[in-house]
Amino acid sequence: MLEIRELTRRFGENTAVDHVSFEVPAGLMTGFVGGNGAGKTTTMRMVMGVLGIDEGEVLWQGRPITRLDRRRIGYMPEERGLYPKQPILDQLVYIAQLKGMDRVAARTQVTELLERFGLGERTKDNLEKLSLGNQQRVQIIASVLPRPAALVLDEPFSGLDPRAVDSMVDLLREYTRDGVPVLFSSHQLDLVERLCDRLVVLSQGRRVAAGTVAELRDAGVPRFRLVLGGDAGWVRDLHGLEVLDLEGASALVEVRQDGAEQHLVAEATRRGDVHEFVRVRPALSEIYREATA
Amino acid sequence: MSTDKSSPDNLDNDRRDEPPWLLVTRREVVSRITDKSFLLGTAFMVVLIAGFIGFNAWQEERTETVTLAATPDAAAMATAVADAAPGVDENIEVTIVEVDDRAAAESALREDEVDAWLHPTDDGWQLTSESSEQGSLTDVVEVVVQQQVLADNAAEVGTTVESLQAGSTVTTAFLRGDAEKAGVAEAVGFVFVFLFYFAALVFGMQLASSVIEEKQSRIVEIIAAAIPVRHLLAGKVLGNTALAVIQLMVYLVVGLVGLSFTSYKSYVPALSGPTAWFIGFFLAGFIALACLWAVAGSLASRTEDLQATSTPLTMLMLVMFFGGLSLDGRAQVIASFVPPVSAVVMPKRILAGGVEWWEPLLALGLLAVFAAVTVWIGERLYRRALLQTGGRVSLRQAWSAAE
Repeated sequence: MLEIRELTRRFGENTAVDHVSFEVPAGLMTGFVGGNGAGKTTTMRMVMGVLGIDEGEVLWQGRPITRLDRRRIGYMPEERGLYPKQPILDQLVYIAQLKGMDRVAARTQVTELLERFGLGERTKDNLEKLSLGNQQRVQIIASVLPRPAALVLDEPFSGLDPRAVDSMVDLLREYTRDGVPVLFSSHQLDLVERLCDRLVVLSQGRRVAAGTVAELRDAGVPRFRLVLGGDAGWVRDLHGLEVLDLEGASALVEVRQDGAEQHLVAEATRRGDVHEFVRVRPALSEIYREATA
Repeated sequence: MSTDKSSPDNLDNDRRDEPPWLLVTRREVVSRITDKSFLLGTAFMVVLIAGFIGFNAWQEERTETVTLAATPDAAAMATAVADAAPGVDENIEVTIVEVDDRAAAESALREDEVDAWLHPTDDGWQLTSESSEQGSLTDVVEVVVQQQVLADNAAEVGTTVESLQAGSTVTTAFLRGDAEKAGVAEAVGFVFVFLFYFAALVFGMQLASSVIEEKQSRIVEIIAAAIPVRHLLAGKVLGNTALAVIQLMVYLVVGLVGLSFTSYKSYVPALSGPTAWFIGFFLAGFIALACLWAVAGSLASRTEDLQATSTPLTMLMLVMFFGGLSLDGRAQVIASFVPPVSAVVMPKRILAGGVEWWEPLLALGLLAVFAAVTVWIGERLYRRALLQTGGRVSLRQAWSAAE
């Protein structure tokens, strides 16, 4: 498990990351969301040791992270790129060696991964000769070399077409199944909602929300939708509820006093037919908008 | 993952025996020497050096054969010219063609059967050629005719040339080597200065742009997460230094071997010592400058910025180049101890001779200290500037920035 505790980074007067804490549990995908300049990239760079830490610490398996630990964490920087004018096999082997693999093992593993991504025929091609999608695949391989203990990926899905997203997701799922913690940032909320087990929302350098998607959606003040056989206008008169929306037989209410919703159901059944009574959970985008407002 | 056999736990057991900087060094060297433009450039230089020396040697060794027409009244003088020619100019050989009279001589000249015609006039001798002057032949004829006529005139008044010339000889002696030796030292000194300038500029620019390439593509973040940035810098500097030194040695060996085929071959043994010193000075000087080039690269965010961030360095290069070429006297002695200019000035002084044994050692020591300081400062600047990607970084920002 990767733990981020009270991480802080200042650039002059500007505090880019302000006492941010969260966890990236083993075997789970943690999505890191926030607008531009929210501090996602800065946080990830600090986790990877690429940027100095002003305050706070990063823990790996419960103890302060070391350089050796970091070498085993797969990292994909935001604006990615490898050497454009070098053959892909050579540069991937070089990166694997920098991460501590010996040459022969590195060659074997890189070749296997290239074949798996359909690039087995192109190992001697320079990176710049590959299509953008294939360059992206090479970049992914670079970050999962050697077998990563954790993955920290900055916007791994940006610029990928839906099929490439799917194959990337499949690959990431293989790692989480093996218990690898994965942290990735994205501003595609639908994607995050679909993929993530957990979510951390950052706004202006502060953590504004964290938890599983269900937890976050449950976290706010509960809302219910009620659809009756007749007019729902009477709902306005009940205590402990705020009516957000009322249209003929349908009403959307927010519970302001514990148990008020029970009262609402009892009153509704007393007055006639109840066609629908359901808890409404806000969409992730809504939570995000509120949290970062 | 199924494709992966190694478990994370034994990763550090099958750890390479080579440190990270060595991996970086190897990549720098391998990616460069497999680069066609680098190989072609080096080969072109070698051909140029060998060609230049070869051409000069051929120019020197070439013996010019000229044919000289002589009527019977000039036969004795012509023979004297032909006999004395090799003694005056070793590259000329004169053959005599006897002609009957003036008309025959002129027609032989027009037909290009002879190069020149020697004949007496009322007040001396004349060398006639078709239209262009026969430079070397004229020199030879002038000397020989003068000697002959002088000897004849002396005999007429009952004396000899020797007694006329007695006491008039001027001999020369040199306190500091002779002029030819000084000339060779000057020429080789120019070659040293030029090679240093050329290599420092070409390899420096290359180093700086490879730093930008890594910074711009952000691969540097992947590398920095895997190995200390210090190792990256060391690997790049050492890789480029190795390449520069190897290339330099190729040029120098081609030059010295080439020289040994010319009439300057007697200088080759004497040049070997200074050349070895030069390589030592080059090594220390280049490491210092390479660090500065890496810093220039790290201060830029895009290739377009390099022009601006490397200006102080290109200025320094020019100062070294012109300083190396033009300084003399006391200024040269002082400069030969001041790094980094000493890297080119001291080898020049060694070439010229008259340097105490401790002087090169002291200069090299000072240069090495300078290199060490540059490496230290360069490492700090490089480390801090490398990950700042928002436009150009000033030196002050880089120095005081937090990591």
